[in-house]
Amino acid sequence: MLQYAAIFLIMLGLYGLLTQRNIIKIILSLNILEIGLNVFIISIGFVIGTNGEIGIAPILTSTNNSSALLFVDPLPQALVLTAIVIGVGTTALGLALAKNIYAKYGTFNIDEMGEE
Amino acid sequence: MSAIYLIAVPLLAAFISILVKKVSPYLLLLVSAASVVAMYFVDLETIVIGGFTAPYGISLVVDRFSQAGLFAVNVLFFLVVALNINNYKKMSSILLVALAGLNGLLLTGDLFNLFVFLEVSGIAAYLITTTNKKPLATFNYLVAGTVGSSLYLLGLILLYAMFGTLNMADMSQSIADSGVSAAVVSLPFLLMFIGFGVEAKLLPFNSWVKGILGHSNSLSGPMIASVYATAMGLVFGRLLSEVFVFDDKVTLIIAVVVVLSVVAGEAMAYASTKVREILLFSSIAQAALVVLLFVNGFVGWAIMLAIANGVTKFLLFSVINKATEVVGSDEISSLKGLFVNNKIIGVSFTAASLSIIGLPLFVGFIIKMKMLESLFTSTLVLPFGNYFYPAVILLSSIVEGVYFIKLLVSLWYDKENAPVVHYDVLLKYVGVVIALGLIVYGVFQGNVVDFADSLGAIILQGGVF
Repeated sequence: MLQYAAIFLIMLGLYGLLTQRNIIKIILSLNILEIGLNVFIISIGFVIGTNGEIGIAPILTSTNNSSALLFVDPLPQALVLTAIVIGVGTTALGLALAKNIYAKYGTFNIDEMGEE
Repeated sequence: MSAIYLIAVPLLAAFISILVKKVSPYLLLLVSAASVVAMYFVDLETIVIGGFTAPYGISLVVDRFSQAGLFAVNVLFFLVVALNINNYKKMSSILLVALAGLNGLLLTGDLFNLFVFLEVSGIAAYLITTTNKKPLATFNYLVAGTVGSSLYLLGLILLYAMFGTLNMADMSQSIADSGVSAAVVSLPFLLMFIGFGVEAKLLPFNSWVKGILGHSNSLSGPMIASVYATAMGLVFGRLLSEVFVFDDKVTLIIAVVVVLSVVAGEAMAYASTKVREILLFSSIAQAALVVLLFVNGFVGWAIMLAIANGVTKFLLFSVINKATEVVGSDEISSLKGLFVNNKIIGVSFTAASLSIIGLPLFVGFIIKMKMLESLFTSTLVLPFGNYFYPAVILLSSIVEGVYFIKLLVSLWYDKENAPVVHYDVLLKYVGVVIALGLIVYGVFQGNVVDFADSLGAIILQGGVF
């Protein structure tokens, strides 16, 4: 089920990127797309056992002290951590550019800038 | 010497350069020169990071492919930096990050690690293009690049869910072993193709190129059109030839995309009246040709074409962008007679553009001839038959020839109000060396042919872990 929500978010982000003409809204759409993608990556690692038990966090603790337990795949979680950091970097850079654009044109709307 | 220093040292130097701003330009020069020298001491090997052997850990692959790419990219990077460092001292830290990202892209043997380096070098590229003072164009580049790499990541995750590995060699092995049909994996590979298509400037995804390279300066122009284009072309080629498996229908779509990019690129270049636009549309066509060769498995010549394109575009963009900064316009009419006062630069510029057209005596000729030869004699089933690609390439060569000769004629002949541009001695020297190299390797072609054949043979044997 989670995958459908993730794909909906990705599509929503793409729709926003294609239809919005405001710089800030474009950056927001980019973020929605990235969040959708991150949710999708997380959902890949989820597992359900043969008798319906749900996978637990892949950490050995005093209560979960056997490697035979049903753990979710930890690799997508590591990947998503990296992807989040990269997304934040890109967003920060986009916002810095938005500030420059506003200083140059006095507007956030691409249509009002008088350039291609 | 382990190739990991090619990534680690520039990254460390980037941090140091933020702390000591004053020495950062010298640090950049030193590190980029050291990377070029270090290329001679890098062994051919697969480097295991952190003790996790492939396919579990990240591995860096140094084979002939990545070695050729690293050599070209590091030399070009050093030249661009050496020519521009005095005017763009503030960009030192960013350029160091760019060097680390590009070396990482070429070295990595892991698909997710590739995404990380794609973003690292991408963010550095967005920052380099801010020197154009066109924030809106840079913003468009950022949006296009981010959406592209997000699609790459989506495709990559689908592959991971299907085959449970991220290592490139292991991935292609498990796809082959699992016996799934190419149609099943066409969605992830198409997504990854689109993602890289943005960086490789393929047609529907390259709307950012005009805004960036059309207003580029002497740093961003050569950097994006030559250094980044070479690195991206080669990395895309590694994926296309070692990992991707394409269904017939997807091959058809890709053939249409690539051919349209070549035709549209050459047509737009023909129609342009601005020199930078002519060069950027020509780069689009060349990049599409590189992808065409990689998709159809002519790996050796694709690498040669990517490197030759990088070297020649470096010279053309450096010369034109310097002249544009002095004259203040890049219309052909205002640059008329540029080479009357700069004969040495003029001769090397002419040699580079004639090599791109593919006239005999230049390296471009051998590449184009061998390319056509292998397309004609290919036993593969190519889309639209064996004569379609050669026809497109020959037709586009004619258009290319017409607009480059037109450009050269107007840059050489106009004695009266010729603009006066003073070029660096270094650029003159580099230009002469490049021109001589193009002619020497164009005449004594044995080396080039052997090199390309040996590169092609290595890839056909399959990549190493």
